[in-house]
Amino acid sequence: MTCTLGEVKNRADFMIYWGGNPAECHPRHFTKYSLTQKGKFTPKGRKDRTMVLVDIRETPSAKAADVFLQVRPGKDFELVTALRAIVKGQRVNEAAVAETGLPLEKLHELVAMMKAARFGIIFFGMGLSMTRGKHMNSAAVLMLAAEMNAFTKFVAMPMRGHGNVTGADVVMRYTTGYPFGVNLCRGYPRFNPGEFSTVDLLVRGDNDACLVLGADPGATMPQPAINHLARIPTITLDPKVTHTSRLSRVHITTAVTGVSAPGTAYRMDEIPLPLRPALKSPYPTDEEVVRRIREAVMRRPAWLPERNAEMVV
Amino acid sequence: MPLTIVKNATCTFCGCVCDDIELHADGIRITETKRACSLGESWFKNHTAEHLYPDALIDGHPATVDDAVEAAADYLLNADMPLVYGMSNITCEAQREAVSLAELVGAVVDSHTSL
Repeated sequence: MTCTLGEVKNRADFMIYWGGNPAECHPRHFTKYSLTQKGKFTPKGRKDRTMVLVDIRETPSAKAADVFLQVRPGKDFELVTALRAIVKGQRVNEAAVAETGLPLEKLHELVAMMKAARFGIIFFGMGLSMTRGKHMNSAAVLMLAAEMNAFTKFVAMPMRGHGNVTGADVVMRYTTGYPFGVNLCRGYPRFNPGEFSTVDLLVRGDNDACLVLGADPGATMPQPAINHLARIPTITLDPKVTHTSRLSRVHITTAVTGVSAPGTAYRMDEIPLPLRPALKSPYPTDEEVVRRIREAVMRRPAWLPERNAEMVV
Repeated sequence: MPLTIVKNATCTFCGCVCDDIELHADGIRITETKRACSLGESWFKNHTAEHLYPDALIDGHPATVDDAVEAAADYLLNADMPLVYGMSNITCEAQREAVSLAELVGAVVDSHTSL
């Protein structure tokens, strides 16, 4: 239940940013894709659109919003659930709604605005998907958007952080069938977030080697996970010597994606875009180094004996 | 070094992946980033074509890429349950190679999405 940013630009007359601060984290999102652009069915640009911001604090993005709703930290799921009930015309407990930090009439006003929209979208950020409730919060927002389609066109889109994290989802989906946390240990893909997701694996100490590319878990992950990375042979590919490189057995310096390495990157709405590097790096690209590691592995006897016969370089 | 101008360059700092940036580069560094936001500008200007870091490190000591590749292959193949993690700031082509390598060594492959 999503769309491209081009559709947002041309059609969306109502948007909710939930748990994100695009003014500081995605500075051109408002001006290039969503809020202020003039589109085919939104010819007056900003004047044709209504924007609601839901967050736990008044960030600089609130200045761009028509309505700012301050939700109490960790109460996003409760707020979405109350909205879903109101959308369907069900009774809600006023005291329970007050727990979210917002009065019931504000929620009724919001639902009225949502239903009055011709094309509504909810952009949800990490303030929703990585706080209490995590993926259940994302699921609730997706359900809310889906259920709104009984009244008007409504979609939801995650505000992806890192450059090509969307590409990682897409590539893993079309190669393994699952978007992340894919276990290939048995020779076929298995998917189970919580069991095969990185932080859980490392905190439990399940892995006995790690290849890190395009990430710096040594600077961002919980300490027990970092401790395990330091304990096992870790291999890091990065344009700089990072925190993770310092705890790794092997570090290989690579060219910078999009600056000195060519290729493809996916935008947050799953549109693939070509990269046009402006510099020539003295280092090999990630693609080349990973291919060389794969070729080096293929020169060795396979861990699955029957694979030795079927391998083709 | 002559100035090179790249039109419609793509910025991969955040998920917006803006593809209308005009980059001016002098061969070593990017000097101008038209239409890029403050985050994009610092991303482009932060990286140069200089050889600032050793090609590779093994146990903290400078090494050749060839040796580092062989060491990496040994570690990954000898592990029972290796992990291939990250993939957010690399190209789709590199991601495909990474999934292929993960399949070959029987690894778990995961991205920032699971955090």
